Amino acid sequence: MQLTVSDCARRAQVRSVRRAAGREEAFPTELELKHITKTYPSVIALNDVSLSFREGEVHALVGENGAGKSTLIKTIAGAIRPDSGEICIDGKSYSHMTPAQSLELGISVVYQEMIQMEAMTVMDNIFMGMKDSKGPFVDDRARYKKTQELLGRFNCHVSPKALIRELSMANRQIIEIAKAVVKNAKVVIMDEPTASITVEEQKNLFKIVDELKSQKVTIIYISHRLEELFEICDRVSVLRDGQYITTVNIDETDKHHLVSLMVGRELSEKYPTKPPCGSEVVLKTEHLSGNGLEDINFELHQGEILGFAGLVGAGRTELMHLIYGSAHRTDGKVWLKGKEVHFHTPADGLKAGIGLIPEDRKYQGCFLEKPLFWNISISNIDTLSHATFVNHKAEMAQAEDYKQKMRIKAPTMTQLAMSLSGGNQQKVVIAKAMASLPDILIFDEPTRGIDVGARQEIYQMMIELTQQGKSILMVSSDMEELLGMSERIVVLYEGHQTGVLQRDEFSQERVMTLASGL
Amino acid sequence: MEKLSVHKPEAKAGKKSFGKIFSDLSMPILLVILLIVFSILSKNFFSPTNLVNILMQNAHAAVCACGIMMIMVSGGCDLSIGYQMSVSAVLVTKLLSEGVVSVPVAIILAIALCMVLGAFNGVMGMLLKSHTMIVTLATMSIFQGISYLISNSRVFSGMPDSYLFLGQGRVFGVIPVNVLIMLIIVVIVAIIMGKTSIGRKIYAAGDNPEAARLAGLNVKKIKILVFTFAGLLVGIAAILMSARAGSADSGTSGPGIEFDGITAGVLAGVALKGGEGTLWKVIVAVYALGVLSNGMQLIGLGTYPQYIAKGLIMLLSLYMSNRNAQSM
Repeated sequence: MQLTVSDCARRAQVRSVRRAAGREEAFPTELELKHITKTYPSVIALNDVSLSFREGEVHALVGENGAGKSTLIKTIAGAIRPDSGEICIDGKSYSHMTPAQSLELGISVVYQEMIQMEAMTVMDNIFMGMKDSKGPFVDDRARYKKTQELLGRFNCHVSPKALIRELSMANRQIIEIAKAVVKNAKVVIMDEPTASITVEEQKNLFKIVDELKSQKVTIIYISHRLEELFEICDRVSVLRDGQYITTVNIDETDKHHLVSLMVGRELSEKYPTKPPCGSEVVLKTEHLSGNGLEDINFELHQGEILGFAGLVGAGRTELMHLIYGSAHRTDGKVWLKGKEVHFHTPADGLKAGIGLIPEDRKYQGCFLEKPLFWNISISNIDTLSHATFVNHKAEMAQAEDYKQKMRIKAPTMTQLAMSLSGGNQQKVVIAKAMASLPDILIFDEPTRGIDVGARQEIYQMMIELTQQGKSILMVSSDMEELLGMSERIVVLYEGHQTGVLQRDEFSQERVMTLASGL
Repeated sequence: MEKLSVHKPEAKAGKKSFGKIFSDLSMPILLVILLIVFSILSKNFFSPTNLVNILMQNAHAAVCACGIMMIMVSGGCDLSIGYQMSVSAVLVTKLLSEGVVSVPVAIILAIALCMVLGAFNGVMGMLLKSHTMIVTLATMSIFQGISYLISNSRVFSGMPDSYLFLGQGRVFGVIPVNVLIMLIIVVIVAIIMGKTSIGRKIYAAGDNPEAARLAGLNVKKIKILVFTFAGLLVGIAAILMSARAGSADSGTSGPGIEFDGITAGVLAGVALKGGEGTLWKVIVAVYALGVLSNGMQLIGLGTYPQYIAKGLIMLLSLYMSNRNAQSM
């Protein structure tokens, strides 16, 4: 930890002097980020971001997937260490935080996936890590009383002795907020707090936010539901591709203006041109529901790349699993080449000619500790065997064939998958899906975490596949990729289909507007 | 948002590092060291009679270890194997000693029963969606009860000679029958695991169940199949053991063998999380443990010091394998 007495501290002094002089600033700054940059091997997550948060304001952070919101809050919470920049709080400047330090300085984060001691009581969770009694014994009675008082203020009537795992998501969230209050947090960061609670619960949450605000607590509010920002926020900051775009007062903006700020990036990468697709419908869904989705209707044509857009949690990956057979369908119909199909397992989807390149390459796609030829042949091992004996020669020949076709950069195919770079691993996963000769391929985040060169190769490969008559469903959080590769885009918002865009309607704003449910 | 890409240096193909070769050969090295040490310490140890004795004494354990290895590779663990074997051993010896059924029928019954018990383990693991280590902890207790109900705590002996031949006889007067059966089973299991598509799927299901499922494999079916097949092997092991001993009872015919098998598996580098393991190493490990107890017996150290020695060897092997993993 570096502690420098910089202008940050000086300004704090100036501020106190001004206060003393009776010229108090209307909104003293609580937390300030200066020139924060954070890079990962393949991407700049935050690029010279400077932002300041005022005391007692509700400050929203908005941006597309991958805009850098999460990285920013992790920086503030001390979960990651920025490459450069300063974090100023209480007139002191830090080059980075540690989680303990950030807590001590009064910063609390209410994460979307709450990390709680499920089998312990509400009061024990709230006072976790606090020294609230003098001796070695916990003063349960005092804890009980304090917890009850606190939860009463938040209009939450669960027993302090209830176990966390018995509570609803909304109540668990309130417990997290109570935890922050007990620690006298000055800054509370809420990450998608309304994502998993009902409308009624949301109203209560907003009341709590107001209550915290009245006590001069700064709230950093992250949400992709733009309309709710207008109910509770004072200011909104927009991030795009790791860059700070602007901060606006909420009463000086509207949803469409925000969307235009969130998108509006220049399309820099070149995408290979794709010959137009055929007119034959190879896949069709009607009122498809299940796995968190409702009433999905789309058609996929032969040779088409159909993009799926949506924000995190919109249900894109879940939809792909529904189509592939790896998730349970509750309603609706799926037609494959004019025939109605019922898939119950991935094997059904595979047999019918659908291949999946899963979202998570390492945990769903690759067998990291196994050789490349082994990875490629696992789905079609039966066709490579005679009377269950694996024909190793045929297996190696298949591996070498895909190595050539897909330009997999590996000295030999007996090497373990974990020794390859992300891009080459992805090619192996594609080869595995291709080996069972599918007609329809699902690419879920085809280029996530892959460097630029390999990305172009994968785009080229996708075009080649469509030329061979294959059709592609592509889920992507990368707006450029979606607009550059797709022929049409289906947009989802919280499990519902909000629109299908034709190529001539493509624009970042259109996609973002539909993806925000506007 | 965390975007990480793996940029490890591409491993050199073809050349194996010293550490890799050492860990590949650690079991044979251990076996040879034990053989040398006990040959020095006891003049009776390195005699043909004693060595054949060791081979015969551990043949059933090696057959069991094949089953345990398959279960571990598929990502499971079976603690009930000892009592599974006990149920089968007391049933077959009871039937034979009372002369109720003929030898072939008794053998088929014993094996079929073990397959049912194994399948029960697999199905329970699937239905309860719990780790099979816990599931088989429960079924172990059930099997224990069944075994004692059958035996009523009696010891059964007096089986026909044709049955005893399986455990004590010799082909052409030289090759022990039980060792021969064990070798045949080891070869069959090695082929299944190494050369067939079924074996491939077992490794895949253990290595990464989610990726295997998405690759179109029926992971649940594979696991149930493995438990059932392991049951078959356990049934055979029960016959080999009771035939060699000439008697069987609920308490000593089997229980404890699951720990020897799991110990051998861990020593041989079978991953507890599944997906990894080589059969011949497991068999060598079984015999290394067998040499250890035989040798210690000969130099006058009884059963209890043997337990300590086994534990120490296991701790040592964990230390070695961790060091290897870190240096990679």
